[in-house]
Amino acid sequence: MKDYAFKKPPPRTGVIRDFDSKSVSVKVGLVVIYFLCALIALVSLFPVVWAFLAGFKDLEEFMSSTSFTPQTIDFGVYAHTWSQLKIYNNYLNSFYHVAGSVVCALIFNGLLAYGLAILKPKGYKIASSLVMLSLLMPATISLVPLFINIQHLHLGGFFTPLWLAAGANAFYVVLFRQFFESFPSSIIEASRIDGCSSLKTFSRIVLPLSKPICVVVAIYAINGAWSDFLLPYLILGQSDWETVMVRLYTFSTQQTVNSDDLMRAVVFAMIPPIILFFVFQKKLTENVVVSGIKG
Amino acid sequence: MEKTVRLKRRGGGRWAQHLTSWLIMLPSLVLFAFFLWGPLLQSIQMSFYTTRNINLEKFVWLNNYISIFKSPEFWTAFTNTLLYTAWSLLIGFLIPIGMALVIGETTRAKGFFRTASYIPNILPGLAAIILYTAFFSAEKTGVINIILSWFGVEPQQYLSEMGLVIPLVVAISTWKGAGATALIYMAGLSGVNPELYEAATIDGAGIWKRIRHITLPAIFNLGSTLLILQIISIFQILYEPMVLTKGGPNNASLSLMLQMWRYAFGGRMEFGKAAATGVIITLILLVFTAVYNIVNRRKTDWEA
Repeated sequence: MKDYAFKKPPPRTGVIRDFDSKSVSVKVGLVVIYFLCALIALVSLFPVVWAFLAGFKDLEEFMSSTSFTPQTIDFGVYAHTWSQLKIYNNYLNSFYHVAGSVVCALIFNGLLAYGLAILKPKGYKIASSLVMLSLLMPATISLVPLFINIQHLHLGGFFTPLWLAAGANAFYVVLFRQFFESFPSSIIEASRIDGCSSLKTFSRIVLPLSKPICVVVAIYAINGAWSDFLLPYLILGQSDWETVMVRLYTFSTQQTVNSDDLMRAVVFAMIPPIILFFVFQKKLTENVVVSGIKG
Repeated sequence: MEKTVRLKRRGGGRWAQHLTSWLIMLPSLVLFAFFLWGPLLQSIQMSFYTTRNINLEKFVWLNNYISIFKSPEFWTAFTNTLLYTAWSLLIGFLIPIGMALVIGETTRAKGFFRTASYIPNILPGLAAIILYTAFFSAEKTGVINIILSWFGVEPQQYLSEMGLVIPLVVAISTWKGAGATALIYMAGLSGVNPELYEAATIDGAGIWKRIRHITLPAIFNLGSTLLILQIISIFQILYEPMVLTKGGPNNASLSLMLQMWRYAFGGRMEFGKAAATGVIITLILLVFTAVYNIVNRRKTDWEA
């Protein structure tokens, strides 16, 4: 640590340049900047850390203690909630939901983007602008008719509509499309001349080259499916397939659960995304940037 | 002779190719139609009907709209939604820009600051809201009350304070989204040519002048795009007030979307009115987008 502190800092890349840092007011300004950054980090992380710590409190301590830290760190409390509320069931359901959603998100959005970016059949521009339009459309508004359609088709009570919904995501199509468009057209031409059909070109040429973008879309689809609860609540509510989020929502509305158990359920709901984040941190933050600017 | 035949064959093959291409896209297009395009058109249709259970019952012209406009709840929800938008412009728009500027100036631990501020964004929204329910709890064990008690302030009831509840909801969603938005701004700023800063310094520009004349103009376009996206998303705010306060106290945090949800799924099963509310929201957003486009075009005309 000490070693690091004495290392020469990397060159400045922001508004303040190296030639500025000599004046006193700039030095003070830099201290203020670091203070603000520390504050940002604190505000961002504190609620999460607090939730983890609060989860170690039992009901009595949770309702009375005004200390941020629990008296004892006993994972047994977490294990108790986990088994008593049968959260493992919901974890399993969420896993099904996530797995199916990822598969659908990759296949359907990938194929559509392949058509729009590479095959470009006559009239593809209509489909393309319709997809782009749905990027801007207020999505939640279609919730009511969508729910009714699903009921009419008797698809309620199981994951099918949720899985398929992941297959119609304009944002994923845009991600795939941007990636496919960067392919040199000669590769596609070559495979065509070699007699590959469109589907074969997709499975033999395009797909193997698309691993990076598939990973990105998969991460988004995992996080999206895990966190979604409005449509899942309408479709899976009161069935045997309630996901973690649906369960959490029912907890929060019915107040049949003790508040310490609720806090632990919140922590259980946050753990998988946090793990996912730390595994794929770089990919996620990089791509937010790319998609944010282009989209 | 042979040549023309070959060309013809190719031409025929081309049509087959167009057809197979469309067939490849067909399943996805069907899904888009089922999940996005169809429901949007259906909500327009449904807004002119009364419903029984989940079936359309009777065409009632504009009756759904009229009874919505007559209900005081709608106007509460409408003004609240405007308040949400105003607060989110005040808090939610400026904070990420400030964060990007500040974090962009650091040279040490930059990665840590970026990661830390991004983490709230990956948490499930529902979990975050429930977490904040405990945070703002009116008991003396509520986190904010604990912190305030260090300064001798009595426990407050934040979530039942009518004037406070909307800014609090906006603050929570800003907490969640600001890091990701700041990241986009930082990427925009990294595209600024450092020579610009150096040239400005030689011309005698101080740090503030450089921010004013180089940094901010560099993210102006990005900022206006993000602004309109933010308005569109805050206008659809639904689950945050639904979970945090159930629209209360006394409908002080009721949003248009929440009103739509209540019509449809709040036990009333008034799907026609819900659809009509949805259509109204869409129309308002269309107006916003159109105004944005016009202003933006004017601006670029001007510059050109």
